[in-house]
Amino acid sequence: MRVLLMGHPNVGKSVVFNRLTGVDVIASNYPGTTVEYAQGSTRVEGEDVTVIDVPGTFSLEPKDSAEKVAVEMLEQERGAVVISVIDSSKVERGLYLTLELIERGYPVILALNMWDIAKDKMIDIDVKKLSRIMGIPVVSTIAISGDGIRKLASLIKEAKPIKVDEIVERVGS
Amino acid sequence: MSLTVDERWDLIDSIAKKTITYGRYKETLKDVIGELTVKPMTGIPIAITTMYAFWSIFGSFAGTLFTDGFFVKLFDEHWLPWMQAHFPGAGGWLYYIIVGDPAADNCFEAFGMLTSGIFVAIGVVLPAIFIFYLMLTLLEDVGYLPRLAVLVDTVLHKIGLHGYAIVPTILALGCNVPGVTATRILETRKERFVMMTLLAIFVPCGAQLGIMEEVVPESMGLIILYLIIGYFITGLVLNKIIPGISPEILMDVPPYQKPLLSNVILKVWVRMKSFFKTAIPFVLLGCVIVNVLYLAGFIQWLGSTFSPVFVTWFGVPEATAGPLVAAFLRKDLAVAQLSVIEMSAYQMVTAVVLVSIYFPCLATFMMLLKEGWKELLGSLAVLISVVFLYGGLLHLIGILAGVA
Repeated sequence: MRVLLMGHPNVGKSVVFNRLTGVDVIASNYPGTTVEYAQGSTRVEGEDVTVIDVPGTFSLEPKDSAEKVAVEMLEQERGAVVISVIDSSKVERGLYLTLELIERGYPVILALNMWDIAKDKMIDIDVKKLSRIMGIPVVSTIAISGDGIRKLASLIKEAKPIKVDEIVERVGS
Repeated sequence: MSLTVDERWDLIDSIAKKTITYGRYKETLKDVIGELTVKPMTGIPIAITTMYAFWSIFGSFAGTLFTDGFFVKLFDEHWLPWMQAHFPGAGGWLYYIIVGDPAADNCFEAFGMLTSGIFVAIGVVLPAIFIFYLMLTLLEDVGYLPRLAVLVDTVLHKIGLHGYAIVPTILALGCNVPGVTATRILETRKERFVMMTLLAIFVPCGAQLGIMEEVVPESMGLIILYLIIGYFITGLVLNKIIPGISPEILMDVPPYQKPLLSNVILKVWVRMKSFFKTAIPFVLLGCVIVNVLYLAGFIQWLGSTFSPVFVTWFGVPEATAGPLVAAFLRKDLAVAQLSVIEMSAYQMVTAVVLVSIYFPCLATFMMLLKEGWKELLGSLAVLISVVFLYGGLLHLIGILAGVA
């Protein structure tokens, strides 16, 4: 089983990666630290899972060569589960990439990372409701302290592809 | 089913309305500091203070405390005399390669693989890059670099680069190789080409800075000034002559964060590890190759053949040929070698600048090649022109100022 970590630059994908796999990749507090992908593995319920840290990208239409690596990575990994890592204080734009991933048919898990920063900014997200509307597993995480990472790992197997019109319907009702 | 861009945003809007509530936002200390470091009025003095602090800690920790305070004594008073006395076959070629000059009384002069080689790698460069990476990592993890990028944006736009180009430049000050890799975040080929070329030519790496601080501390200011001026002039020219655009990009400035100790240790360790793996073997190998070339008479031949170029055009001694050969492998080694050649202070400045701007070290060269051979050839063409024009210009300035 293969898992891709995708999301905007500087939302903490590399920190999530280090937490999940124990493999050390360089993570910094500025966008664009990861320009090549890194690979590591972890075990979920006795099964080996390969985790890939993908360079940050704003959308699936690449603008620079680091983003191109990201989109190519995604296209090569047709069968992979995608963890969409987003900055909890900027949920809307993170959801854009998440929807693109869902539309392309990937099973997606949403990691609301930097949960502490959203808290600081008095932003409150209803995780359960978001998960119900989106129809995908959603988990809040603080990667630098490790909060929520175990739960994230346990949800990997629950991800399945869904249709975006189902989301449209649920939002409407 | 696939949505259009507008449909996607509409959907997100409705999802957000149902799941997110925004409380009243209170400004925190982090925000205030964030503002102060980005606004030019306060940001520029803060940036200058930060850079100055970086530089003086770098010099005093690596140069004064570790190298002068410990390694110079260890190597010059104990290791070198011991090697000179105990290595068999004084005067023979093997002795020359491994130990170097039997009469040398310090590790810069000896230039043997196990004397100067180890001294340069461990005694000078190791403490320098350790403190450099420690401070760089702290700046990175706090989140200062994107703010610096915002500050220098206007200036860098003049040379066809986005403010973000400061990030590859600062990374390159540690080692040019990750600097080149970091240019991948720039959008157009033009921007990347300009950035890579400027990095390879004008940005000295941490190892080189460490040894410069050790051997020419009094001329550091002038050397760095020459490199900065060269960076901007070349950038301006390249921006004019290279076709293509340098588009505006929007940049996220992340909130300040307290660096996480485990992440800092991890990053410094990962970076030091790559130093041990690549730099140390190259320094040692460099000593051997240079010594063999001296024994074979190649460097003497090179010096006298190109004597007009060295002496007349650049105004430096013929003997500079040796360090320039070493600079192919390691620039730190080349600077160490320069330090024992007899020349005036200004000639030393010119020679160190030449070593910096002339050919990128082997590791950087390989990295540039990986990014594309067309770009590499282009960079080399720029490099050769720059070395000649800028080197000549430096000589001319020296003549006019009466110091050459």
